[in-house]
Amino acid sequence: MGKKELKVAFLLALRSLQRGSRSSVILTVLIVAMCFTNMIFLPALFNGIGQSITKQVVDYEVGNVLVSPKTGDQYVTDVGATLDLINGMPGVERATAHFTKGATLTYRQRILGASVRAISPNDEKYVSPLYTKMIAGSYLGQDDTAEVIIGKPVAGDPSIRQEDEFQPSLGGVRVGDSITIDYGNGYVKDYRVKGIYFTGWSQADSAVYVTSTDMALVDPKSIDNADYITVKAKPGYSETFIKNELIQYGVTQKVQTTADLLSKSLGRALQSFAIINLVSLIVSIIITTVVLFIVITIKTLNSRRQIGILKAIGVDKEVIMHNYGFQVIILAVMGIILGIVLTLLLAAYMAVHPIVTPEWSATLYLTPLDILTNSLILFVAAIVAGYVPAWQVSREDIQAAMRA
Amino acid sequence: MIEITDLQKIYRMGNVEVRALDGVTLEIEKGEFVGIMGPSGSGKTTLLHMLGLLDLPTSGRIVIDGTDVSTLNDYAKTMFRLYKLGYVFQDYALVPDLTVMENVSVTAMLRKDRTEEQYRRDSFGILQQIGLCDRRDHLPRELSGGQQQRVSIARAIVNKPDILFADEPCANLDTENSRMVLDLFREINEEMKQTIVMVSHEDWHKEYFHRIVRLRDGKVISDEENVPSRTAA
Repeated sequence: MGKKELKVAFLLALRSLQRGSRSSVILTVLIVAMCFTNMIFLPALFNGIGQSITKQVVDYEVGNVLVSPKTGDQYVTDVGATLDLINGMPGVERATAHFTKGATLTYRQRILGASVRAISPNDEKYVSPLYTKMIAGSYLGQDDTAEVIIGKPVAGDPSIRQEDEFQPSLGGVRVGDSITIDYGNGYVKDYRVKGIYFTGWSQADSAVYVTSTDMALVDPKSIDNADYITVKAKPGYSETFIKNELIQYGVTQKVQTTADLLSKSLGRALQSFAIINLVSLIVSIIITTVVLFIVITIKTLNSRRQIGILKAIGVDKEVIMHNYGFQVIILAVMGIILGIVLTLLLAAYMAVHPIVTPEWSATLYLTPLDILTNSLILFVAAIVAGYVPAWQVSREDIQAAMRA
Repeated sequence: MIEITDLQKIYRMGNVEVRALDGVTLEIEKGEFVGIMGPSGSGKTTLLHMLGLLDLPTSGRIVIDGTDVSTLNDYAKTMFRLYKLGYVFQDYALVPDLTVMENVSVTAMLRKDRTEEQYRRDSFGILQQIGLCDRRDHLPRELSGGQQQRVSIARAIVNKPDILFADEPCANLDTENSRMVLDLFREINEEMKQTIVMVSHEDWHKEYFHRIVRLRDGKVISDEENVPSRTAA
């Protein structure tokens, strides 16, 4: 197969698409584009959910590296010294301790169980974007006492009756209101609601934050103990690097990266996502292959006489086969390009309007490698689908083809 | 140029044998304009298809320009058709998606002995010769039947084939357009010494042929020299 033969095959293919049925070309390109979008949409959405969960876990739960009590211990002890040690390490943006205590909140006639998290507000700003998520009032000051910030779901909506609530709440607490917190150790205290926040991460949103200073009054153990320490890495430093560094510097507590933690908790979910992705991919490939196979088969059947004529006047069967092959390649490339455009438009739309659920908010997470891989898979499927009928018809007897 | 020896083509339709060609023996010389005539079902088109390597005989031998074509494989036959033969079909058989110029050039583009400049020049020259140069960018459906058949002839002769086969090229044309096509064949035959083998069942076409081979029931019943009538032109 020489250059001249390929040139003629390409010319025949191009002219057939240019001057043949426009609607057939548009329909085929649209189908390929839809198949591409379908192939890439679900995996990208699942990746987006995974990314969203990971980001929220990092932002509101564990940071990049979590230091938790070693086996058998209830708390991370000697918190002050440990924080000083970690904060002095290269690559550490900031480490901050959390001390959480179960409590009962009371507001008017409503009573609600919640976790009260004690934080160092200034340090927390380096580790978590919580301070940017205030929807009413303001964030905690470093040494605030008797002031609290609460999640929107905890504050509740006064327009919804208690029995109609999806999630129990305090029934419409506003900034400046006073709530009573009973810590269960006999310490009961009234707090002024300083701010209401909403992060989109349900575990953070169903909590209540007070300052470490205030918690020291509630439970003196919190002065030098913590449930865990979250560590934020500086840009360019990997979680594994920080983890190894912490261990090398003699942090004797349990040290885990976010990936370590997520691989356990999210592992099964990600496996399920991977299976659904695979099924979606296979279905899309089958649809594309069948559609292109049908399109090219119909084209070849409608052109049998012409194929016979071309063979009769000396056009080699390889040229005829590549003619249809090129048509499929052009249709597949156009379909894939349109599919990429549609997918990117969807991704852009979802970046502005993510899918939000009580557990996560998801956008489409696309990488150039995902786009390239799916494009290549679809391209190969299209070539197979196009060349099989083209190969069959190109080998047909001239007389039989010309009589068609 | 063409030697045909005891050519037979038998079709089997269930238990019935149909002898489309029954021992045809012929010789056609270079430069001849041969008309193959006969009633419907006499084997004219079958013979043309055998000579044009479009079908395989059941038995017998065809030698074209010293080559026993039965020894050629599929690819070699394709190349033989491309380099040595030209075809004009009853229904023009142009590629509907190609322009006139592209239809004429398509086989020339495939030949290894033609550069792009050559086949463009040759195609342009042929279109000038048949008077359709101004229609070179038109699609076949934009032309009349007679014009389409002239384009088909241009495609057949652009490669300067050794033999031009024409299978009832005027069957779909009115008398005026038929004359135009036959005049073109005569011009090609006389000016380019082009060997032409043409199937026809129209009696008045014989005024263009140098020689008339008549078939009936797959057999040659007459093979006569003919003096073309000049008044036809």
